[in-house]
Amino acid sequence: MTLDFSVLLRFQEALAVGLWTTIKLTLICVVLGCSLGFLVGLARTSPSIIVRGIASVYVEFFRGTPVLIQLFWIFFCLPLVLGVELSNLASGVIALTLYMGAITSETFRASLKSVGREQLDACIALGLPRHVQVVNVILPQAVLRAVPTLLSNCVSLFKESALVSAVGMADLMFVGQNISNNTARPVEVLTIVALIYFAIAFPLTRAVTLIEGRILKKLAI
Amino acid sequence: MNYTFDFNAVSLGPLIEGLIVTLELTVAANLIGVILGFPLALLLMSRIAVIRWPATLFVEFFRCTPAIVQIVWFFYCVPMLFNVFLGSMTMGILALGLNLMAFNAEAYRAAIQAVPREQVDAGIALGLNPFQRVFYIVLPNALRASIPVLLTNGIVIFQQSALVAIVAVQDLMYQAKTLATETYRPIETFTIAALIYFAVSFPVTQVVGWLERRRQVLTS
Amino acid sequence: MTAASAPLVSIQSLHKSYGPHIQVLKGLDIEMKPGERVVVIGPSGGGKSTLLRVMMGLEKIDSGAITFGGKPYISSSDLAAKTVIDTEVRRSIGMVFQHYTLFPHLSVIQNLVLAPCKVRGEKKASALQRAQALLERFGLGAKANAFPAQLSGGQKQRVAIARALMLDPKLMLFDEVTSALDPELVAEVEQVILQLANQNLPMMIVTHDMWFAKNIASRVIFCAGGVVVEDGPPEQVLGAPREERTREFIDRVFHIKQ
Repeated sequence: MTLDFSVLLRFQEALAVGLWTTIKLTLICVVLGCSLGFLVGLARTSPSIIVRGIASVYVEFFRGTPVLIQLFWIFFCLPLVLGVELSNLASGVIALTLYMGAITSETFRASLKSVGREQLDACIALGLPRHVQVVNVILPQAVLRAVPTLLSNCVSLFKESALVSAVGMADLMFVGQNISNNTARPVEVLTIVALIYFAIAFPLTRAVTLIEGRILKKLAI
Repeated sequence: MNYTFDFNAVSLGPLIEGLIVTLELTVAANLIGVILGFPLALLLMSRIAVIRWPATLFVEFFRCTPAIVQIVWFFYCVPMLFNVFLGSMTMGILALGLNLMAFNAEAYRAAIQAVPREQVDAGIALGLNPFQRVFYIVLPNALRASIPVLLTNGIVIFQQSALVAIVAVQDLMYQAKTLATETYRPIETFTIAALIYFAVSFPVTQVVGWLERRRQVLTS
Repeated sequence: MTAASAPLVSIQSLHKSYGPHIQVLKGLDIEMKPGERVVVIGPSGGGKSTLLRVMMGLEKIDSGAITFGGKPYISSSDLAAKTVIDTEVRRSIGMVFQHYTLFPHLSVIQNLVLAPCKVRGEKKASALQRAQALLERFGLGAKANAFPAQLSGGQKQRVAIARALMLDPKLMLFDEVTSALDPELVAEVEQVILQLANQNLPMMIVTHDMWFAKNIASRVIFCAGGVVVEDGPPEQVLGAPREERTREFIDRVFHIKQ
C-alpha cells in the first residue's frame, strides 16, 4: 500500500482542537489530582484508623482496577447515582482526577516517609516548634523529593487521558479515530496521532531524568 | 438517589468467561514481556549506537504514547501495512506483549545498572572473568531486584488489557459493556466487573509491597 | 550551696530501655558542674549515645530524672509511663550529631538562621549578621550560600556546630561528631570544639578519639553496660584507670599488649 500523509493537512484544525481538549483535561486534572493526592497522602499517615482506612481503600481500589472501567463507571453510573446530568468534560475531569489523586498520593506518602528520623532529631535539638518542623523542614524536602515522580505521574495522566475517547469525549484520540474512519487512512492518521502524543510525553520523561540528576543531586535529597 | 439496585440482574457467567479471556491475555503478554524484555534490555545497554538507538526508540515509543493508541494502531494498521490478520486474540496478545516488553526492558536495564560498582570490582579482585562476573554477580543481583517491578508491570498489563475491549476482544471489560447495555444495569455490572479486576490485582500488589519491604530490610 | 558549686546538670538514676529486653541505661547518676567538659567513653552499646539523646530530650525514659540549672528538666512518672520534658529548658541545650543532620534543602546560612528566627523570633537581618560572623569565625565565610551537599564532611560538621551555637546554648552535646569523617578532616572539626572549650562553654562529648578526649576533657566518664564504671580527671581515667574494666578498654583502644 502507499502512504499519503497529505490527507492530514485538511484536518489540522480538528486535530489541534482535539489536542487542546487533551491538554486542557490533563492540566485541570494535574492541579486537582495533585491537590487531592497530597491530602490523601497526608490522610494515609493520619493517626486515626478511620481516616487512614478510608484513604487506603480509595487508593487501593483506584490502583487496583483498570482506568477504563473507572471511566465507564463515572460516565454511565455516577449520573444515575447522583441523579444529575454530568457533562462529558465534568465526567472526564472527575474520573481522571480520582485516578491522579490515587497515584500521586502514593508519591507524596513515599516522599514524606523518606524524610528521615535524623532530620526530626535535628529539629528537636534546635527547639523548633511542631509547625515550623512541618512547614520549614519536612514539607519542602518531601515536595522536592516528590517532583520527579510527580512529573512521571503527569505523563501517565496525559497518556491515560486518551481513554476518554472511548466514552465519546472529543480529545486527540477521538478526533484521530474519527478522521481515520472518515478517510479510511488509519495508518497515516493514527501514526500522526501517536507521534503527537510522543512529541509531548517524551520531552517530559527526559525532564524527569534531568531534574533527578541536577536539582536533587545538588541538594543530595 | 432513586435507583434501586438489583445485583441479581447481572449474570456472572459471561463475566467469568470474560475474566478467563482477560487472564489468558495477561499471562501470554507477560510471557512475551518477561522473556523478550530481557534481551531488549541488553540491546538498550549496547555500546554500539546502531543497536542501542533502535532499541531505545522502540522502548520510548511504547512508554511515551497512550496504550489505547498503541492498541488501536496495532489492530487497524498492522493488517493494512503487512497484509496479515491474526485473529483478534492474537493481535491483542501481541499488542499488550510488545507494550509490556518495552516496560520490562526498562525495568531490567534499571536493575542491571543499579548493581553497585563495588560488586563488579569485588568480582575483578576475585579473579572472575567478564563472563563469570556477569553470570555470577551482576545478573543474580539484578534479576532479584527487578522482580517487584516485573510483577507491578504484569499487573498493570492485566488492567491495561481492558483496552482490547475497544477493538472487540471479548474480555472481561467487553462482557461488562455488553451486559450493561443488555440489562440496563450499568451500575451493578460495572461495579461487579471492577471488583473482579480488583480481586485479582490487589493480592499481587500486596505481594509486591511485601517483597519490597523485605528487600529493604535485607539490604539495609 | 554556692552558685559556683551548684550543678549545671544533675542526672539521677536514669533508666532507659528499647523494647522489653534491651536495657541500655541501668541507673545512671551524673552530676555536671558549670564550665565542665565531660568526655564520655566506653564500648559500643554501652549507652553513651543514648545518654546524650536522652539529655537532648530525643528519647523517652523509663525512670529517673534530670535537672538543668537547678530546674526540673526531664522526669518520668511510673504511673503514666510518660516522659515529661520541659521544652523551655530543652532550648538551652544544643546538640551536634554524627551524621551532620543539616537541612539539605536550605543553604548554609539559612540552616543557621532558621531556629533563631522561628524559635526566638529574632529579626532576620540580625540573625543573618550573627550567622555570617559565626561562619567567618569557623572559616566558612565563603560557604554561606552553598548547599550542604556541596560541602566536605568537615565543613558540614562545622556548619552543624555553628547552627547549634546560634541559639546560645548553655550546654553543648557532641555525639561522635568526627566518627563519620575522613581522617584528614577530623582536626578541623576538633579545632572548632577546642575553640569553644577555651570560652568555657560546658559540653558533654561522646568520642572514640582518645587523643581528642585527653586534650579537651576536664573530666572523663567511662560508661559500660549502662552504668558509670569510672569517673574522674582525664589523667586518671585515661592514664591510670582504677577500675579493671576501664583499664582493659583503654589498653584495647591504645593497642597496648601486656
